[in-house]
Amino acid sequence: MKKDLYVFNSGFLRRKDNTIMFETDEGKKYFPVEEIESVFIFGEVDINKRFLEFMTEKNICVHFFNRYEYYVGTYYPREHYNSGIVILKQVEFYNDYNKRITIARSIVEGAVLNMLVVLRYYNSRGNMLKDEIETIERMLHNINSCDDVNTLMALEGNIREVYYKCFNKILDDENFTFIRRSKNPPLDKINALISFGNSLLYATTLGEIYQTQLDPRIGYLHSTNQRKFSLNLDISEIFKPIIVDRVIFSLVNKKVLGEKHFEKELNGIILNDQGKKLFVSEYNQKLYATITHPKLNTQVSYKRLIRMEAYKLQKLFLENIEYKPFVARW
Amino acid sequence: MFVILVYDVNEKRVAKALKKCRQYLTWVQNSVFEGNISEATLRRLILELEKVLDLSEDSVIIYKFQNTWYSERQIIGIEKNPVDFMT
Repeated sequence: MKKDLYVFNSGFLRRKDNTIMFETDEGKKYFPVEEIESVFIFGEVDINKRFLEFMTEKNICVHFFNRYEYYVGTYYPREHYNSGIVILKQVEFYNDYNKRITIARSIVEGAVLNMLVVLRYYNSRGNMLKDEIETIERMLHNINSCDDVNTLMALEGNIREVYYKCFNKILDDENFTFIRRSKNPPLDKINALISFGNSLLYATTLGEIYQTQLDPRIGYLHSTNQRKFSLNLDISEIFKPIIVDRVIFSLVNKKVLGEKHFEKELNGIILNDQGKKLFVSEYNQKLYATITHPKLNTQVSYKRLIRMEAYKLQKLFLENIEYKPFVARW
Repeated sequence: MFVILVYDVNEKRVAKALKKCRQYLTWVQNSVFEGNISEATLRRLILELEKVLDLSEDSVIIYKFQNTWYSERQIIGIEKNPVDFMT
């Protein structure tokens, strides 16, 4: 399976000998272009048009993040899997409010079920999360009675609030106390981790959607608006608990990340370079970790599961096969 | 699939072979490449290499592994080019 290239250092990223070369003060390093799916850029990197043309030719998305680790944008090459019929169907499912809310509900349901999977696991390890699990289970029933996307999003927000409060019990570390969700900028370490992880996942999901015929601009839970992409936000919802949150738990509980990996910036707190690298390498390991897929009966990586989620939506649009979100089994 | 590719190519063509291999695999040492590659992409690499090489004079050996379980990569001396997709 193809890999992603993460660039943290500063230098010149160019096309050389029909492959990718990264040139820094320390020297040149070549990367096999045929084995790269997308490029994530965190450092101060110079890029020229020739390089972007090359990325288009090889169908590689380039995601940019600024120095405060915000997502800046993506060089999204011209679509190479074009299908007018898929776009028409995608729009049809957006415009028909009943169809749209059904998809939106499935997405929220998938996200919440995956949160429960995570909580039940930690509960079984003696983290005393029984009350929270019951609260969320009760709120889960309300999803079906939501017939408005805004109330659905609000409900999802309320559930997530209960869920994030559980982090305090799962992460037994005073340095990483969760008080409330804050972003732009994140105000404490745990929020910095959540924000950084989520933006990585959004980019990864966008890269996976690029490999399908779907149009990432048309989202169902996150309404389609002037924002460039929203379908990737939808699909990411389902995977946040099982990918991003688990990466956070393992980094904090194994004491890989500590005080020295954060810095104060813009009235908020962000990860520093070393912290980012540690996070990305754990995140990447998670993406390529495989599970036995219950239906296909083969080994599938989490990254592939994200792509399969997009395929499932495509199947719903084209063949009207009911969309069931992925729910992890442990 | 994980592969290790080694070549012994005449000087006249070695630069071409090097460039071709760099597109698909990671250079680890003079004449040695390694990397994860799919069956189909490897075929493409081989086809393209055959165009560059003189098959009556040059030699390329590809070691294929279905996975890297039970294998170990030991380095003695310096590591010329650490294989890492984070830079």
